Amino acid sequence: MSFVLDGVGLTHANGFVALEGIALRAERGERIALIGPSGAGKTTLLSLLGTAVRPTAGSASVLDFGLFSGSTATIAQTAPSRALRARIGTVHQSPPIPGRQRVVTAVLAGRLGRWPAWKGLLSLIYPQDIAGAQAALARLDLADKCFERCDRLSGGQLQRVGIARVLYQQPDLMLADEPVSALDPALAQSTVRLLAADAEARGATLVASLHAVDLALANFPRIVGIKNGRIAFDRPAAKVDDALLHDLYASEGQDLPMLANATRFAPAANPNPAANDAASRAACC
Amino acid sequence: MSLSALRRLALKGALACALAASLSFTAHAQENVLRVSAIPDEAPTELQRKFAPLGKYLEAQTGMKVVFVPVTDYAAVVEALATKKIDLAWLGGFTFVQAKIRTNGTAIPIVQREEDAKFTSKFITADPAIKSLNDLKGKTFAFGAPSSTSGSLMPRYFLLQAGINPEKDFKNVAFSGAHDATVAFVAAGKADAGVLNASVWEKLVEAKKVDTDKVRVFATTPPYFDYNWTVRGDLDPALVKKLTDAFLKLDPKNPEQAEIMQLQRASKFIPTKKENYESIEKAAQAAGLLK
Amino acid sequence: MAARPHDPAARSRLIGTLTALVVLWPLFQAAEVRPGALFDPANLKVIGNFLGGFLPPETGREFLGYLGTATLETLAIATAGMALAFCLAVPLGYLASGAARERPTLNPLTRGLLTILRGIPELVWALVFVRVFGLGPAAGVLALGLTYGGMLAKVYAEILESVDPAPAQALRRSGAGRPLAILYGLLPQASKELASYTVYRWECAIRASVVMGFVGAGGLGQLMDQAMKMLNGGEAASILLTFMMLVLAADALSGLLRKGLDTPPAPRATPFGWRSALLALALPLAILASFRGLNIDFTALFSTDAARSIGEFLGGFFPPDLSAEWLRKVGKGLWETLAISIVGTLLAAVAGLLLALPRPHAPFGVLLNALRSVPELVWATITALAVGLGPFAGALALALHTTGVLGRLYAEALDNTPPTPARALKLAGAPAGLPFLYGTLPAALPQLIAYTLYRWEMNIRMAAILGFVGAGGLGQLLYFELSLFHYAQASTVIAAMLLLSIAVDQASAWLRRRLG
Repeated sequence: MSFVLDGVGLTHANGFVALEGIALRAERGERIALIGPSGAGKTTLLSLLGTAVRPTAGSASVLDFGLFSGSTATIAQTAPSRALRARIGTVHQSPPIPGRQRVVTAVLAGRLGRWPAWKGLLSLIYPQDIAGAQAALARLDLADKCFERCDRLSGGQLQRVGIARVLYQQPDLMLADEPVSALDPALAQSTVRLLAADAEARGATLVASLHAVDLALANFPRIVGIKNGRIAFDRPAAKVDDALLHDLYASEGQDLPMLANATRFAPAANPNPAANDAASRAACC
Repeated sequence: MSLSALRRLALKGALACALAASLSFTAHAQENVLRVSAIPDEAPTELQRKFAPLGKYLEAQTGMKVVFVPVTDYAAVVEALATKKIDLAWLGGFTFVQAKIRTNGTAIPIVQREEDAKFTSKFITADPAIKSLNDLKGKTFAFGAPSSTSGSLMPRYFLLQAGINPEKDFKNVAFSGAHDATVAFVAAGKADAGVLNASVWEKLVEAKKVDTDKVRVFATTPPYFDYNWTVRGDLDPALVKKLTDAFLKLDPKNPEQAEIMQLQRASKFIPTKKENYESIEKAAQAAGLLK
Repeated sequence: MAARPHDPAARSRLIGTLTALVVLWPLFQAAEVRPGALFDPANLKVIGNFLGGFLPPETGREFLGYLGTATLETLAIATAGMALAFCLAVPLGYLASGAARERPTLNPLTRGLLTILRGIPELVWALVFVRVFGLGPAAGVLALGLTYGGMLAKVYAEILESVDPAPAQALRRSGAGRPLAILYGLLPQASKELASYTVYRWECAIRASVVMGFVGAGGLGQLMDQAMKMLNGGEAASILLTFMMLVLAADALSGLLRKGLDTPPAPRATPFGWRSALLALALPLAILASFRGLNIDFTALFSTDAARSIGEFLGGFFPPDLSAEWLRKVGKGLWETLAISIVGTLLAAVAGLLLALPRPHAPFGVLLNALRSVPELVWATITALAVGLGPFAGALALALHTTGVLGRLYAEALDNTPPTPARALKLAGAPAGLPFLYGTLPAALPQLIAYTLYRWEMNIRMAAILGFVGAGGLGQLLYFELSLFHYAQASTVIAAMLLLSIAVDQASAWLRRRLG
């Protein structure tokens, strides 16, 4: 079981209800796209899975660690362990990388949770796994930027550095919050495909929030629609139709692209994860 | 108890004198005021305390108002004498030489204490390993003020004669600024050893202000001429005579005057002359303090 | 497999680190850094006794009365000094500034004068003036007036240059003279910043006037010097507490005044409300009271007698002693001073960063405030007890005070750094400390470095005078030579101080460009 959310709710201190009655579970290796209008609660749900925030109601377990359980009054105060967090990787919409840091350091920072502290310290003086960082960057066509400073990159390049960091981290649970918002459509398509392929190859769970519904439908077997902090629907990509999407985005009051003919996710031609793994490994060396 | 009360009194005196001093800028040209100062070889507050009865006595003897101008810096006394901001000053041997030079030889030493004719300096330490001047090499050392005769010049001169160059042989040289501060420095371990004038040392020992089990004298300089009372050269000769006589006729049998003499640590005042300080001038040149 | 990839920046980093080590090592040597001395039981006992003497603070009625007078005197010196500085800064700033000029000008004469005024520490001016005008507050007021006049003029000139020049240019093109163009075109934009900086400087002047007391310029410093010299802990404690309260009060008052500048005035025909009127009344009164209270007779300063004695005195400084032997000695003092400033600033940077890190700030904020409200010269008296006399005591004293200053600035800079990068790393399981090093520090570093280098520029001036209390370097040489009336030698030392502070300003500007 990758994660289990049972009746999870989150009410902010100011009384704003961000999430309510969320029941969601994912098997290991599942790929789920979260879609829904802005402010629906997608980012909050991802933060919750990333152990960044605690629910105020319901129970949750991530990667078999019972993180939060009980009702509002009896939420367990056990802090998520470092080992657990090292297995969760998050791609942020705006990459949390200081501008003055070099790309190689920013990517290597992905493994700080696995490395012993001394290695993390040493890596500040001399990058400890240049080859690994380069391999991750190469998959995003950024190999030549390895030693650039991040503030010299374009917004799209920086967003892909953030993705490279998570690829390098190799987490068991990959969370992605609008991972391709700064990329052009072609690059966005190939990047989401890369994330999905990486998750599939490593048998990792991937949960991504996406504004581009076509990208979600094309690359994710399972689609979860979120609206007003609640789950609007949760079904295979093939079963998401225009009416459903219309309802989901209704309040935005604008015309939606017709998706009737959009590509739906279909199992890959090559279902052999081991081969994929080998291929990705080859890219690493 | 009484000591701290005295200190407070002295502080009060210092305050009054500081005010008087600033007033004295305006009272500059007034003829009926005699402005007196002293090199701050001890705590300025202590100097005030010592001067108070002497000031009264001089007022009575000269018929002038006597104002004490406190300073915290030796050189300031010399400069004040040269710029005629003070009329009479208690100077050390070396400060007198400096004053003589800065006034183009016009400053006149009038009297000194009998003790000043054969003055000495004491080398003190709290470090059991230091037994002679030679043990001082590589140690930190505290002089008094740089222009003090007994706290800097003469000890330096005798150290040089003993083959010790303070600039090269000491690890660090500090200037405490005053004799009793030197004792505080050595007692507190701020400096491994130090030097001060014999008179202040004896006073501190008598007053039990120093723990002699801890701080001890390990060397004494040969005698030399030190302190005197100096007037500026263009003072009315009649007034100079009055002042000189006033000091000379101080009588230890008169209880009031005995108090003055005890505070000045003088058994008797004797006349003095410029020539007495030629040897100090030579020592200063030899020690490189006079250019 | 291809050749093992390597970091192209490693070489230059290595060279940079080695260069820094090669430069710093002899400096640490010159500063005689011996951390062991701090923990020597004998030293600890001495300092324990001294600090133990701080309790209880002296509260005798007479002493408190004296303390009160000294406090007033300190306030008066700062206020009178600032008034003088202001009178000096307005015309000089006007001359030095390129604002509202038809043609750009460099004004080498005025700028050079300002550099000299600022480059020589106020304590050195005070020391010199004490000689010319005798002991007392006059020397302190003049010294403050000159140094701060130089600083204010430079900053005034820069502020006027930094605001939008268009309004003034338009006025000039329509025929207005330069003064009016500045008054109508630039001042409305710059007034807040000008006033704010002036108030901030007044606060600094209070600290400075305390320090000048150490060379006999009156006020709290003179009292403190005596108490410290005689190791009278009780009195020292009372004076320090008074001083801290004074600094806090000045802090609060200047904060209040600056806040007042932020509130827009009510729409009225006259720009003055009752608050401004009150201020306009209080300010001249305070200045007048300061001058009266200090009893400075300026006519005495301008008499022919005084002019002659100043002339003679200054004449003694020329020509400076440039003999090889003396220059060697000054060179050594210069090196030692540089070492004290660099070691002190580096130690403070490390300690300040460590104190700026923990959350919440509050308990450490109190510590930082305490550290910075004790002047360096007072710290030097205490550190000399702890590690013995010498440059290390000076470096430590500098470090203690600067830790307080930098710690506060660092904490502010870190608070203003985006928290998300470090948070993201923490959520990815990075061990304690690493999120800060990978996520926060790189973003905050330019700011931290800039603060540290600015502080270094100030510390070099302070290091130059720490020698007065036995910390070695140029200060000790200067004190010694001035005491012996060796003015030719003293003038070489003062020139060396000036050159050193100019060189450090340049080096710091260069480093800021390189590292920022």
